Amino acid sequence: MDQFLQALINGVMLGAFYAAMMLGFSVIWGVMGVINLAHGEFIMLGAYTTWVLNKDFGWEPFYAIVLVFPLLFIVGYIVQRVLINRVVDQPILVSLLVTFGLSIMIANAVKLAYSADPRLTDTRFGGVWNVGNVTIPVTKTIILGLALVIMASLWAFLNGTRTGKAIRAAAQNKQAARIVGIDINKIYALTFGICIAITGVAGTMISPTLAVHPFMGAPLTLRAFAITALAGLGSIPGALMGGMLLGIVESMIGIYVDRIGTNLAIVAAFVLLVVVLVTRPQGLFGGLRPIEQAEQL
Amino acid sequence: MTALATVDSKVRTTRNKQIALAVLFLALLIMPLGTQVADQTWVTNSRLFQFTQMFMLIALASNWNLTGGFIGYVDFGHAVFFGLGAYATGVMMTNQHSIQWPFWPAVIVGAIVAAIFAVMIGFPTLRLKGPYFSIAMLGTFVAMREIVRVSKPVTGGGVGLTLPPYLNRALFYYLTLGLAAAIITFAWWIRRSEFGSSLIAIREDEVGAEMRGINTTLHKITIFVMAGFLTGIVGGIWAYQNTFIDPDIVFVDSRTIDLVMMTMLGGLGTVAGPVVGAAAIYWLRDVVWAAFFDWHLMIQGSLLIAIVLFVPSGLVGLFRRDGSGTSLQRLWGRWLAKQGDEPIEADMGNDAPTDQGTQP
Repeated sequence: MDQFLQALINGVMLGAFYAAMMLGFSVIWGVMGVINLAHGEFIMLGAYTTWVLNKDFGWEPFYAIVLVFPLLFIVGYIVQRVLINRVVDQPILVSLLVTFGLSIMIANAVKLAYSADPRLTDTRFGGVWNVGNVTIPVTKTIILGLALVIMASLWAFLNGTRTGKAIRAAAQNKQAARIVGIDINKIYALTFGICIAITGVAGTMISPTLAVHPFMGAPLTLRAFAITALAGLGSIPGALMGGMLLGIVESMIGIYVDRIGTNLAIVAAFVLLVVVLVTRPQGLFGGLRPIEQAEQL
Repeated sequence: MTALATVDSKVRTTRNKQIALAVLFLALLIMPLGTQVADQTWVTNSRLFQFTQMFMLIALASNWNLTGGFIGYVDFGHAVFFGLGAYATGVMMTNQHSIQWPFWPAVIVGAIVAAIFAVMIGFPTLRLKGPYFSIAMLGTFVAMREIVRVSKPVTGGGVGLTLPPYLNRALFYYLTLGLAAAIITFAWWIRRSEFGSSLIAIREDEVGAEMRGINTTLHKITIFVMAGFLTGIVGGIWAYQNTFIDPDIVFVDSRTIDLVMMTMLGGLGTVAGPVVGAAAIYWLRDVVWAAFFDWHLMIQGSLLIAIVLFVPSGLVGLFRRDGSGTSLQRLWGRWLAKQGDEPIEADMGNDAPTDQGTQP
């Protein structure tokens, strides 16, 4: 029973991180129909920025968010203007290949700059709480809290502000949004910037507990894709549930299946993904727009 | 030019092309003899090895093009068949429990294993559309690497398998040359057959093809399994030539994406495209890799972006003549028009001209 509870708690904490890190991917896909295969590399950029601040300037990793957010926003804004904007209206293969090329470039640029050694940041919020026979790491609790804050603020932003409503309008019907006077290019760049900023912050959050190295991005991109397909495009409650589901499944497999560790967890993620895609292609929770619109190759 | 003269020149071009291809093939056939003629010739064993690698890439890219180009199912995990072929061959040849098989039956077993897996994975994944298929295959690929790693009793796990070494460069040269030639001929035949036309119809409009009476599921599975089988053979040959396999060198992430890149550069959905693209990228990489080792992956990434953005129809499409000249000439004309500050008629993306956005 204790083992089960421990796996459940680990899974919830892992799932919260998954939910926070895949939001940007899901919203970008939902709003502009671009599947950003460089998504994991932006997490990695956020994590590396944090690592540099932590190592060279002695910043507490979690405080680095104040710098990572604006920095990654600017990066995302520029990347959208220069590169992504050219592929928004083109077949999905084009955007897949362009963002894949981007991911190779970012990962290898970081490798050239900082080598491929895995790193961790030092946080002063280490330690654990013991509740009965269950241990709750403090760091992961902070990650859980931050993830919930990120999701809540994105939800409030998309539903409460004029810009957020414009973003949702652009997702639902681009032509109509244009007719009522929404500057689509600006909205797209803004969306991309915000999503990349959130993604970078997710990288900051995870840097004390997950090895930071140039090629950490690809598995995270895969998970982001799996959760998005589970959750529906741009759906925040769906992201939370999908992330938790994947996190708990991975953590249960890690604990209950012997001698396998978490390597096979990604296999589980994809079995889950294929089953959901085949049986319920619109995702479990609905989303910003019907998934069929994004399916045209 | 009269109509007759046009036909005449077309026939002549076709015949010239055939003669050029035959000469090229013959030259490739007699090339290994260069090692016998003298001690110091341009043709060395390492040169033969390079050509062998290139033929393998040509064969793999052509196989990828069967699904990616002909039915438009962009497979991001095609290397899973390569890996299965390599591993099945390796396991049969190093069998610790019963007799060790010779290479030829082992490679056939490898190809059959790959084909069976293609049937198994094709049924669920080929129902998925567009990006979902791509990512499901990518997931299959990543998952297979981990499965191979944990099935230690059979595959040797992370330690890998060492195959009986066999160092006959000329044999591998002829083997891969023959295989590449056979696969290209196969692709060419498919493209001209009714079966191939049905595949193209599926790519252009799957629902329409279904309405027209094409059994789309059967067609998709058939071509997917053929591609898997052929890729399995290449994997088996690669394993024998490399004499060592482990999960990380067989299931390299870049293997599939290299194929996508080569096919895109050459021309997606054409027979010549993957061949031209694979040859071009192989030699280009040889140069870039030697000159800027640290930077070669970055150069590769930027090249991929540049290809997709600026030559979407590929090198083959650049020189293909249709209507108003080749697309190279059209590109040039568009560039001239841009210099003259004239409005450009966008021919890609139907709502591109309205992309300025409406000011409030």
